[in-house]
Amino acid sequence: MNEREKWATRIGLVLAMAGNAVGLGNFLRFPRQAALNGGGAFMIPYFFALIFMGIPIMWIEWAMGRYGGQYGESTTAGQFNLMWKNKISKYFGSIGISIPLLFVIYYTYIESWCLAYAFFSLTQKYFGISDMSHMNSFLQQFQGVESGSFFSTVLIALIFWLITIALNVWIIGRGISGGIEKLAKIAMPLLLIFAVILVLRVFTIGTPDPNYPDRSVMNGLAYIWNPNFSQLTNFAVWLAAAGQIFFTLSIGTGSIQTYASYLKKDDDCALTGLSTSATNEFVEVILGGSIAIPISVAFFGLATTQAIAQQGSFDLGFVAMPIIFQKLPFGFFFGMLWFLLLFFAGITSSVALSSPFMALLKEKFNLKREKAALIVGLVLFSFGLPIVFFLKFGYLDQYDFWIGMLLLSLLALLETIVFVYGFSKPLVESSNIKPKIFAYLKYGLKNGWAELNKGAEIKIPKFFFFAMKYVVPFYLIVLFVGWLWQDLSSPKSMILLKGISGNELLFCWIARGTMIGIIIAIGILTKIAWREK
Amino acid sequence: MRWDGWLFLILGWGFVFSLFVFCFAKILKKGK
Repeated sequence: MNEREKWATRIGLVLAMAGNAVGLGNFLRFPRQAALNGGGAFMIPYFFALIFMGIPIMWIEWAMGRYGGQYGESTTAGQFNLMWKNKISKYFGSIGISIPLLFVIYYTYIESWCLAYAFFSLTQKYFGISDMSHMNSFLQQFQGVESGSFFSTVLIALIFWLITIALNVWIIGRGISGGIEKLAKIAMPLLLIFAVILVLRVFTIGTPDPNYPDRSVMNGLAYIWNPNFSQLTNFAVWLAAAGQIFFTLSIGTGSIQTYASYLKKDDDCALTGLSTSATNEFVEVILGGSIAIPISVAFFGLATTQAIAQQGSFDLGFVAMPIIFQKLPFGFFFGMLWFLLLFFAGITSSVALSSPFMALLKEKFNLKREKAALIVGLVLFSFGLPIVFFLKFGYLDQYDFWIGMLLLSLLALLETIVFVYGFSKPLVESSNIKPKIFAYLKYGLKNGWAELNKGAEIKIPKFFFFAMKYVVPFYLIVLFVGWLWQDLSSPKSMILLKGISGNELLFCWIARGTMIGIIIAIGILTKIAWREK
Repeated sequence: MRWDGWLFLILGWGFVFSLFVFCFAKILKKGK
């Protein structure tokens, strides 16, 4: 049996956990969501979701992970099995291994675009392309969606993707303290420094073209922060805010539990967990909100920025920003900082997303760390290849919708039920209260709350007890149903594959089949692992 | 930017900055 790994330092743990949370979404998704959903008024449902849903789930995941780690269980499969004594609980928990694995399969490809664009910035490859449509062609040709004079094949994208996978494998192969913690200690401070440099550069731009006095950084900030209160009665805005909190804190992926399982049994969860969320929010709200949208408004004006924001996060990051960098003195340098910042944000998240599957291989199948990392790399390569080659057929979009939206909220709901109610089952069974549902209401979260507060260095307000027990399950059900409803009623429904035809339809079904196959395969591995045990 | 935009910016930034400082001040105080 391999000796169980531990975090070497507390700051390393905080940085690694914060690195898990801080991702591309902090810099690309958040400002776009805020700008599109009511500006300053968006921050009301955003902070509401942070306090009532995000922070409680984050603590649940930390406590669950640390509890599992005491018994050598690094994945939600083992942790569910420990906390909810039931034959099927480990299979529910196994989706906490398959979700992050499926996530990282497509995430590493997006991460590799950042590395490639950092290189393109340094070598000024996209310099000279001054309009949106050509810059969009540059991106599409790079991705292999179309062929043209910038890139004739997807080869360059493939090379950067392989480099990204190799880097991920190398880091996770070096272990928790020797690989992931060291990466976090280097990448997170660099990310913060790069972000601060970029924010300072953005704030000193002012009004770059005196012929267009409306095009200013101040108007860009106004686009994000001026509140539009009429949006508060729109359910979709509340859904978007809750979704943003979900993605930004990396909750519902199973990766927090795996990282937390490497804590010692009396290590603090309450303050350390809150610190990682605070770091993430600092990076998102203060730094993330002050770069892409304000600079875009300063150079393109409000109307064009609105159109770019409507198009999507990638248009903002990979089409608008490269044009802007060309207009700045030393633009190649600022471009490189921007894309390296995104790459660091990406890689600290992708190593976290790989860790549950890595832990399963290492700890349940007794594989050496290096061998387990190579298998993870092989899986990323094999299942990532169709994503690279079939991007134009909507292959990646299927992954992003099913994994990045629906299954995340499902796992979060399951883990909340297990932590709040399943963990208290022994108390319910020893009580005389009938029917049992009243006993669950009485004893629910009793064990979980005690576990969370073990070694706590701050007193968690009792309010969070009620939030975890009642508000979080309700919030998650509303979120899950809301997303389903939103998609099913959309003319571009991903579930119903509306507006997709011919070849694309086939590839969408292949993507779905692959995802189901991986979920079943992880379920089978879980069964084998526990039978061998 | 409108006055209420400034208000939301100050409140938003103020909240996350205070939370950040609170957490790390506590961690440093514990000295682990």
